[in-house]
Amino acid sequence: MTAIAQSGLACPMPLPTADRVQLGHGSGGKLSAALIGGLFMRQLDNPALAQMGDGAVVTAGATDLVVSTDSFVVSPLEFPGGDIGSLAVHGTLNDVAMMGARPLCLTAGFVLEEGLPMATLERIVASMAQAARLAGIPIVAGDTKVVERGKADGLYVNTTGIGLLHPHCRPGPRGARAGDVVIVSGALARHGMAIMAAREGFNFESTITSDSACLVPLVDLLTASGVEVHVLRDPTRGGVASALNEIAAASHVAMVLEEEALPVPDNVRAACEMLGFDPLYVANEGVMLAIVPASDAARTLDALRSHPLGRDAVSIGRVTGSPPGTVILRTALGGTRIVDLLPGDQLPRIC
Amino acid sequence: MCLGIPGRVVELHNDGGFPTGLVDFGGVRREVCLAYVAGEVALGDYVIVHVGFAISKVDEAEAKRTFEVLREMSRLDELEWIADAIEPSPGEPRDALSAGNGRPR
Amino acid sequence: MKYLSEYRDPAIARALIERIRRTATRPWTLMEVCGGQTHTIVRQGLDELLDGAVEMIHGPGCPVCVTPLEQIDKALALAARPDVIFTSFGDMLRVPGSDCDLQQVRARGGAVRVVYSPLDALELARRTPDKEVVFFAVGFETTAPANAMAVWRARELGVRNFSVLVSHVTVPPAITAILNAPDNRVQGFLAAGHVCAVMGWTEYEPIAEQYRVPIVVTGFEPMDILEGMLMAVDQLESGRHVVENQYVRSVRREGTVPARERVEDVFELADRNWRGIGEIPMSGLRLRKEFMEFDAERKFGVAGITVNEPAECRAGDVLTGRLKPPKCGAFGTRCTPEHPLGALMVSAEGACAAYYNLARHRMAEPQEVTA
Repeated sequence: MTAIAQSGLACPMPLPTADRVQLGHGSGGKLSAALIGGLFMRQLDNPALAQMGDGAVVTAGATDLVVSTDSFVVSPLEFPGGDIGSLAVHGTLNDVAMMGARPLCLTAGFVLEEGLPMATLERIVASMAQAARLAGIPIVAGDTKVVERGKADGLYVNTTGIGLLHPHCRPGPRGARAGDVVIVSGALARHGMAIMAAREGFNFESTITSDSACLVPLVDLLTASGVEVHVLRDPTRGGVASALNEIAAASHVAMVLEEEALPVPDNVRAACEMLGFDPLYVANEGVMLAIVPASDAARTLDALRSHPLGRDAVSIGRVTGSPPGTVILRTALGGTRIVDLLPGDQLPRIC
Repeated sequence: MCLGIPGRVVELHNDGGFPTGLVDFGGVRREVCLAYVAGEVALGDYVIVHVGFAISKVDEAEAKRTFEVLREMSRLDELEWIADAIEPSPGEPRDALSAGNGRPR
Repeated sequence: MKYLSEYRDPAIARALIERIRRTATRPWTLMEVCGGQTHTIVRQGLDELLDGAVEMIHGPGCPVCVTPLEQIDKALALAARPDVIFTSFGDMLRVPGSDCDLQQVRARGGAVRVVYSPLDALELARRTPDKEVVFFAVGFETTAPANAMAVWRARELGVRNFSVLVSHVTVPPAITAILNAPDNRVQGFLAAGHVCAVMGWTEYEPIAEQYRVPIVVTGFEPMDILEGMLMAVDQLESGRHVVENQYVRSVRREGTVPARERVEDVFELADRNWRGIGEIPMSGLRLRKEFMEFDAERKFGVAGITVNEPAECRAGDVLTGRLKPPKCGAFGTRCTPEHPLGALMVSAEGACAAYYNLARHRMAEPQEVTA
């Protein structure tokens, strides 16, 4: 389960009065946090789960393993830059890698909707196979179920990953310290806007492609460089804003981001402007946040930029002491504003 | 009322008398209804688009002129500040900015 | 992006801020009427940067926020019907009705779809002839031409399964209502740039003259808003009160005539209830008789719906500038974006949400519950 920390406002947050699950509960924002904290944790609480990292650490004898699971429900199934299959492989490999762990293997469970064209399934599974092959990680177990027409958006996938924890490089959401630098490995908001542009009802033509990619090589470069990595996180649903809010809350620190430093490609920015989206909240699937001591910032950037996936790596802000759990953005004009968790998904607006 | 974004008309279409066009917004393109600006818009022109409709044409000449005025103002202000620091003067000079299209400054 | 990004130039913005501070010999109070302008002001911290020189009061410029409760409840009733696909702009989905919102109706099985343009809703109607497609036609004058065209095209193409739930409001009557209030403190207005791109600014000239207030038609980028403020302050300092145009690249005095004509063809003025404010005569639009077949209220008989607004929501006072959101007793405690009491806390442009999400760290007396 991807890490969801409590919102900085009220801890634990009461469930909203809604008596049914809503789409917002899956957005990675406050509703998600409330659902996980208020319902799941309440029922399932145990020490490993309570770590609330991208994956859980489980010890088997003298060996520390990492386990992480993720479900993928993206629509459309195929989009510029990837598909649900490659997304599912990259997503879980990345979750394992964000713990500083070396992925060993993956499993894949499929829920197929009756009527899904075989050709589509073939393409998606081929894509998964290729993604796994390129990463050098086998898919060792799987499961397939079929449900009636209308009960799954074509296809849902769950992948679970197991990895071997690094002997001493063990980043975690509680690791950020005042004075640290916040670094992002590449351009932001590509995946979310690629999906939006491809959605029916919006009819945008764009050159935006998803950044879906396996980040293991970048993590390897960091761990080999000797940098003291405090936090690693892939900012997926909810974007950089949600990820940093969770980390700020878990680490009891604040963060100050510089608007001018945020690397948003022009075509992504254009799409965001049209729909009224803030790129900070848009999902990324091939980018990671690294929070490191200031003295290690230059070495971190060098390591990341030495790889094609990290060539646009840049520092976007700093960790400060207070107010804890707050993420603030300094605008190009010198003003400041809070970057908070959103309650649910961003919605396209006219206003 | 608000989310009106400037884009460049890159294609003109005609759906049985209903004027539409492909508008480019810095890399993202969308089909836009041009019915309200049909008489005045040509390929390459910029329009303000709100919920899939061009609601007005961007006056590029005006935009350029007033932008230059503002840029000049910000440079003049810097010079003034420097001048004031060397030799303080009472009250600041007002720019004689040209009038036109509702800007009688 | 051309004609957008350059208006975010920090050097020019800082120069404008300096200019405003030097021009103002005393603090002035201005109101911006457009939610998009409110968003830029709070998002960029412009009110913080101009503290002491200009006080910005945020006006009722968010059509989402002022959509009357009864229209939301009608929307909810329509969306819950199994034969209806209810389409809407994204902003409306989380606005609370008397007992729930459109997202909750969707969770309970209603077909609710977000569209970018009203023409997308019409297209959906053409593609799904066995369903009724209803479009929530909200907005100010900026959006009226789009909604008018959707209805016009529906008639032209003979589409029978398309209708609109109308909730349009117009700006000038709201400005007049604010100026008429005995406790009004607003000394000048930034008029909404895109409303004026459509309508022009002739309607504002009598207001400026009668009430002796400067009105500056202003754009939405930081540089636009700052320049608009400077022009307003300039007028106030020199005792002038006319309509001026800052947003010259997009607005002309006569507006976009074909758009105004199409709105005239399809809609007519009507009295309208503004959520939180009350009824303002002739401040709304309704479909003309000739287009009544496209009126969702008539088609589905949802006209008589009773409403139930939480008494604690002080949207009306916020919308007319009497109350700054952080001073509301419920702000950040009983009323938050997750449990909004009123529309201003839901819409991205609502003044309350803007303060809560973006600026509460600057508030002198924070009211939210902290961990």
